[in-house]
Amino acid sequence: MSIIATEQTKAVIVGARAGQNAAKRMAEFCYMMGLPLNVLAFVYPPDAGKTVEVLYGNQFLSIPVYASLANALAAHPTINTALVYVGADKVFSITKEALETDGISFVSIIAEGVPEKDAKRLIRLSKEKNKLVNGPSAIGVMSAGECRLGVIGGEYRNLKLCKLHRPGSFGVLTKSGGLTNELMWLCSQFADGITTAISIGGDTYPCTDFVTYLDLFEADLQTKAVVLVGEMGGTLEEEAAAWYGKTKRRIKLIASVSGLCQEVLPKGMKFGHAGAKEGKGGIGSARHKLQAFRDAGALVPETFGALGNAIHGVYQTLLADGTIAKKTETAPPRDLPLQIEESLKRGQVVVEPLIRTTISDDRGEEPLYLGYAATELIEKGYSIEHLIGLLFNKELPTKEQAEVIKRIIILSADHGPAVSGALATILAACAGIALPQAVAAGLIMIGPRFGGAVSDAGKYFKLGATSYRNDVPSFLAYMKSNVGPVPGIGHRVKSLRNPDKRVKSLVSFVKSRPSLQTPCLDFALEVEKVTTLKKENLILNLDGAIGAILVDLGFPEHALNGFFVIARAIGFIGHWIDQKEQNSRLIRLYDYLVNYAVRPKRDVPTLN
Amino acid sequence: MAKILESPAMKLFEKWGVPVPSHLVISSAEQLSTLSQVNKWLTESTLVVKAHEAIGGRFKLGLVKLNLDLNGAIQAAKEMLGKRVQEISISQALVAEMLDHDEEYYLCVRSIREGAEILLSKHGGVEIEDHWETVKRLVVPIDSTPSHAQLIELAHQAGFESDLAERVAKITNRVFLCYDNEDAISIEINPLVIAKKAMRFAALDAVVELDMTAKFRHPDWSFTPVSEFGRPLTPDELAIMEIDARIKGSLKFVQATDGDIALLPAGGGASVFYADAVIALGRRIANYAEYSGDPPDWAVEALTEKVCSLPNIKHLIIGGAIANFTDVKATFNGIINGLRKAKAQGKLQGVKIWVRRGGPNEEQGLDAMRQLRHEGFDIHVFDRYTPLTSIVDKAIQSEKN
Repeated sequence: MSIIATEQTKAVIVGARAGQNAAKRMAEFCYMMGLPLNVLAFVYPPDAGKTVEVLYGNQFLSIPVYASLANALAAHPTINTALVYVGADKVFSITKEALETDGISFVSIIAEGVPEKDAKRLIRLSKEKNKLVNGPSAIGVMSAGECRLGVIGGEYRNLKLCKLHRPGSFGVLTKSGGLTNELMWLCSQFADGITTAISIGGDTYPCTDFVTYLDLFEADLQTKAVVLVGEMGGTLEEEAAAWYGKTKRRIKLIASVSGLCQEVLPKGMKFGHAGAKEGKGGIGSARHKLQAFRDAGALVPETFGALGNAIHGVYQTLLADGTIAKKTETAPPRDLPLQIEESLKRGQVVVEPLIRTTISDDRGEEPLYLGYAATELIEKGYSIEHLIGLLFNKELPTKEQAEVIKRIIILSADHGPAVSGALATILAACAGIALPQAVAAGLIMIGPRFGGAVSDAGKYFKLGATSYRNDVPSFLAYMKSNVGPVPGIGHRVKSLRNPDKRVKSLVSFVKSRPSLQTPCLDFALEVEKVTTLKKENLILNLDGAIGAILVDLGFPEHALNGFFVIARAIGFIGHWIDQKEQNSRLIRLYDYLVNYAVRPKRDVPTLN
Repeated sequence: MAKILESPAMKLFEKWGVPVPSHLVISSAEQLSTLSQVNKWLTESTLVVKAHEAIGGRFKLGLVKLNLDLNGAIQAAKEMLGKRVQEISISQALVAEMLDHDEEYYLCVRSIREGAEILLSKHGGVEIEDHWETVKRLVVPIDSTPSHAQLIELAHQAGFESDLAERVAKITNRVFLCYDNEDAISIEINPLVIAKKAMRFAALDAVVELDMTAKFRHPDWSFTPVSEFGRPLTPDELAIMEIDARIKGSLKFVQATDGDIALLPAGGGASVFYADAVIALGRRIANYAEYSGDPPDWAVEALTEKVCSLPNIKHLIIGGAIANFTDVKATFNGIINGLRKAKAQGKLQGVKIWVRRGGPNEEQGLDAMRQLRHEGFDIHVFDRYTPLTSIVDKAIQSEKN
């Protein structure tokens, strides 16, 4: 047994996000108990006609959203409870609406910051209608093993720790959500747990007072004792004490009140709860309330810290006199399905991974590149060239290798606006296309005729260096019959007498560093010696030199285009920004730049 | 709940037809002579000058000067403005007509659970507490207004007769309407004075408290928060109020003096028990603080920085009950960031930190706190199995070891 919240409780939740979170928590409890979800509907006019998906065990239940309480009740006549999660300014009207329905007999207001006047009007209305309004600023109601209204109790793990899957013998009454949860925990640790726990909220005028709930607890035979935690301000605790002292009560009362500190704090100091404020002439002070409870015969521990022992004492007494029997602990009827992460951690499931990575791990505080923390690389002086080496080839390049990479990127970064890639980016920029897409348009051009020779040059010079080491003629014969012109050899304008300065600079740098092995580059230079004999301009071009050098640095052939992509993206981005800042206009080719090799105008034949 | 200053209170009175004396607010004494050229009453009436600040017992502190002519008022304002009293620097003075009156009454309308109570006495003035038996009471249930007959009856009970009773009832009705329509929590007029020859009434002094949660239906409310504990709000308190006003959840921060135990607890209910636990051991708190309702981590971080900046603290209590929906991991992240910042600024030296908490993601949150030990924090972390306020006991106990 329990009070207020029972297996018969069917709720409608008024409000948006906070209400949906509450529904999720309520569904966890219902699932654990093997009970159907007790949230039947939402009321939130902007989403009327839609549904809210509430996770119940391992399936999503679609709970309908209505524009008004009347609509919700018409569709779900068994609704008898409303949980109010709307803004403070709408609390009065929606609660009034709820009280005026035939079906709803209990409203819990979770919203905070409700004006006192509105709360007082609701007190009058609820009395008139003989209904109960809990709150405002109230966390909800929990009846162990039966019903949860609101997020009271918090996460699933806590429900089990507090043994909320089966009824105990202690009622809990507070003005604070956090303390309600704390007391459910204390009752499960120091006694046999709770029947029902309710927070009435910390406002100045809670719509339902302690006495109303004490009466209900007194009538609930399962409840043997009630733990009441109050605070300074108002007279609800004094009234509760008076209720307890008035006549011999069946339930035992354990009470604690916060706010003794007020006696030594600055006058008028405000605490978190609106209702926790000084009264005049001692009434409403914590001391006054505690004395009232003591005088009424309640058990009042010296401090909150002593509450656990007090509860335990009462529990032992109740056990000893046979009022309650010791419980054999049982597990909840059902356990909430685990999240996949939790399940994996426990080794209960196996999942075939979808992708596999060997280079980068982002699961910690910062990315690890092949195990090296990004910030540590920076701190130890590594730069972007090293990172390229690391992520492309899984090794940190040496200083000299890194220097080569840097030079390659600088030499390849741009080649003016007229080449196909840059032109594509510029065309896109002029058409108003955003940076990523415009740069991608340029990158799309990289292929066999634009920028792609690096890869092939690397590939075949490597083949030559391995299979035709001292036999350039055989290599050239092989190329002629199987591939065609040697990639990386030949230039449109440059020749032996008019050498490419970039190639010379790169090659001489690499050759001047004894630590760098250069078998492919050496082979390429041997090839050049032979081909330039045939024709002056069949020199080793920039693509050829870069390809050979990168292969010598240990990069796989299929990685080589990546260097051109990185380097040239710098140029493309520059071109895009340049066009953007000039506010360039859409461009199209002039007619005279097109050879219209088309048919003259003629009649379209009739469709048959 | 918020007390408002006299000038805005008088504006509300005027709005509801409650008579007030002629008055104005000045920030420099020199303004008065210029103002007297356009406000005849300044030269024709006896004047009163009051410090226009939230300071209790102003009369006894010499911050109310009576029976002045214009020159006297200028002199009084000169003396008052800029003066420091109870840490408040007086920046404004209220100059009002000192109504030549025959009698002083007491009239109060205030909120009670059932609705409101009207308190009326014929013996108003500073000694009202001593004449409390002369105060007559009328309870007005919520959603109703007092009838004319009821108010006349109240006036008669309080000793007012015939015409005077009629007039007192009328003013009482207006004060009630002001209370009811302006979401007031209490309006206490003391004294309500009368100049009998002209049958002219005026609320000479009044304390008005409004329910600030009702601000949404009073777009004309533009009151700045007035400190309610006899001193101005500190910059840190104002900074936290400002954050509190714009976040989900809530933050509270009040500085105390002479305490060496700093509080950074969660929850409106539990936080008071933490303050109680400190006081119960004969110690003093350096502050009251609280965060609740799952506030964003940056807001908790800001609150942490303020708490860590309190002078001369020995212990920092990061306590809390088992939360229902406040994410312990997320809010602790905010606290941890705040602690790190404070430490980097050289604060928290020699401060012992005590943690106890439960709730959503409590394991990760408490673990993160435990890790701070490796960063040189003197931190002691406890979980739900340690009773709520035991960390306060442990903190004090640690001093004896």
